[in-house]
Amino acid sequence: MSPLEILNATIAGQPTPRIPIFCNLLDQGARELGLPLKMYYSKGEYVAAGQLKLQKKYGYDNVWSLFYVGKEAELLGCNEILYADNGSPNVADFVIKNYDDIAKLEIPDDITAHPAWQETANCLKILREEVGNTHPICAYLTASTTMPALLMGMDKWMELLMGKDTDVCDELLRKCSLFFEKEVAAYRAAGANVLVYSTPFGSTSFVGMKRFQEFSLPWMQRDLAAGGVNNIVYYCGMAPFNNVITQIQETLCIGSYYISPMSDLAEAKAIIGKTALTCGVIEDIKLIHWSPTQTREEVKRLCEIGKVGGHFLFGTGVMPLQIPEENIVAMLDAAFEYGRF
Amino acid sequence: MIEDIIKAYNEAVYETDKDTAFEVVNGALAQGMSAEDIIFQVVIPAVEEMMSLIVKDPDANLAQHFMTAQIAAEVTEKMLLLFKFPPEIIGRVVIGTAAGDLHSLGKRIVMGCLKALMVEVIDLGVNVTAEKFVDAAVAHDAQVIGISAMMVHTAMGEHGCAEVRKLLKERGLEDKIKVIVGGAPYRYDAELYKNVGADTWANDGVSAGKVIVDLIKEVKSHVTA
Repeated sequence: MSPLEILNATIAGQPTPRIPIFCNLLDQGARELGLPLKMYYSKGEYVAAGQLKLQKKYGYDNVWSLFYVGKEAELLGCNEILYADNGSPNVADFVIKNYDDIAKLEIPDDITAHPAWQETANCLKILREEVGNTHPICAYLTASTTMPALLMGMDKWMELLMGKDTDVCDELLRKCSLFFEKEVAAYRAAGANVLVYSTPFGSTSFVGMKRFQEFSLPWMQRDLAAGGVNNIVYYCGMAPFNNVITQIQETLCIGSYYISPMSDLAEAKAIIGKTALTCGVIEDIKLIHWSPTQTREEVKRLCEIGKVGGHFLFGTGVMPLQIPEENIVAMLDAAFEYGRF
Repeated sequence: MIEDIIKAYNEAVYETDKDTAFEVVNGALAQGMSAEDIIFQVVIPAVEEMMSLIVKDPDANLAQHFMTAQIAAEVTEKMLLLFKFPPEIIGRVVIGTAAGDLHSLGKRIVMGCLKALMVEVIDLGVNVTAEKFVDAAVAHDAQVIGISAMMVHTAMGEHGCAEVRKLLKERGLEDKIKVIVGGAPYRYDAELYKNVGADTWANDGVSAGKVIVDLIKEVKSHVTA
C-alpha cells in the first residue's frame, strides 16, 4: 500500500500493514539543498524539492506545502519577514498596527491571484505531480481566532479579545474567518489533502472553558461551515485539548485529532476510540538532547498506546533544526518498527 | 471589610473581569481604604494567589495569565498616583525577547506582574541583542536580566541567553546580575535553561514574578554579605 492508501485506510478503519507515520520537517529542506533559509523560502520549487528530498531520505509518509507559519500573513499584506540562519522565520511587520487598520483590512476575492500565493501554488503543483497519487500532501491553515495573532501580535490580540471593543473584535474575526474559507478552498483545489487546522484557542490552555464554548467553538463552526471538515486535522499548536474532544466531535465532526504531547495519549485514544483518527505526537523539542535510545523508547511507548484498535497515526510537531539527524533516524526507525501490525 | 474586598477582587481576577476588579478597587477607595493598602493587602496578595493557583490548577489558561498581569499593572498604575510617598522599589529587571524573537506576549505578562510586585522593569522590547541586555542591566543597576524566547532557535541560539552568559562572565558580573529565561521551548524541556546558561526559568509569565523577586533578593543578599 502507498502511504496515501495507508492513511486513507487507517481513517476508514480498514486493515493496513502499519500505522501512518508523519514527520514535519520544514527548515531542514534548506539544509538538504544547501541554501540559506531566506533563499530556500523565496521559491516554491525550492520548498518542493526540499520536501521531496527529505521524504525520500527518511522514508516517512507526508510532504508539506507549508513554507513557514507567517506565510499566511503575507496574503493579507505583511511585507516583512525576519529570517534566521537556524530557525523558522517570524512575521516582522504586523499588518494591523492599530485598531483603525482592522476596518482597512481587505480579504482578497481570489487569494490564488495574490502574488504571495504563487510560490505556494508552484510548490503544490510540483508535490502533486511528483507524489500526489502516493503520499499525503499537508497544508497548514490558521483558524480565524488565531489569525489575528499573525496580523497584530499575540499580546495586542489578547488585549482586543479580552477588552470591551467587541464590534472591532468581531469585524476582525469575520474577516479572518472569510480568509480561512477562501484559503481552505484554495489549498483543496491545489491538491493538499491533509489540512491541518491550527486553532490554539480551541484549547482551554488558551482560554477558559466558558470562553471556549462561547467564543472558540462558534468561530470554529463558522470557519468550517462552507468547506466542511473533510481532511481537516484538529491541531492546537501542541497545547492540550483532551478535555474538549467530545465537544469538538459533537459540534464540528472533525475526523482527525493531533494530540498534544503534554496530554495523556491513552486518555485521548479512549475518548476518540474508533470514531476518528488519533494522532500520537512526540514531544520533539526533547529530541534535541535525547539519545537515540531514549527517542526509540518514547516512540515505542506512543505506538503501544496508540495502535491498539487502529485509527492511529504517529506524528511530530514542527521539528526544530537543532534535532540531530541520528535522532530523526532513530525516531522513524522505531515508528516503522513499533507501528507495524 | 478587607476580607470581602480581597475575595471580590480575587474572584474578578480569576474570572479575567477587569471591569469588576476596578469596581472593587474604586469601592474600596470610596470606603476609605488607602491606595497603599489596596496595593499591599489586595493587589500583591492577589498576584501571589494567582501564582499558586496557576501552578495547582490544571485548567489555568493563558487568558487568565494575561488578564492577571493586565489588571495588576493597571490597578497598580492608578494606585501609585494616589500614594502619599513613592513606594519602595525592591529591585530592577531588564527584560526583552531574545535576538531574532518578536513574540512579546510572555514579556508583557511578566512586566505586568512585576509592576504590581514593586519591581522596576526596564523594557528593552523585542529582538534584543545580548550586548544590549548586559549593557542595559549595568546602566540601570539591575539585579536580573529576563529573556523571553518563544522559538527553539532563539532560546538555544548562540546570540541569545548563551551570549548573555558569556558576556556576564567576561565582565565579571555573574554575582551581580542573574538571568532568568521563559517561553515555550523551556516548558517542553525543563532542563533547557541550564544548557543555555540561565540561572533559572519560569513556567509561565505570572509565576515568573515570584522567581524574579527571589532572584533579586538573592543578588541583594550576596552584595550586602
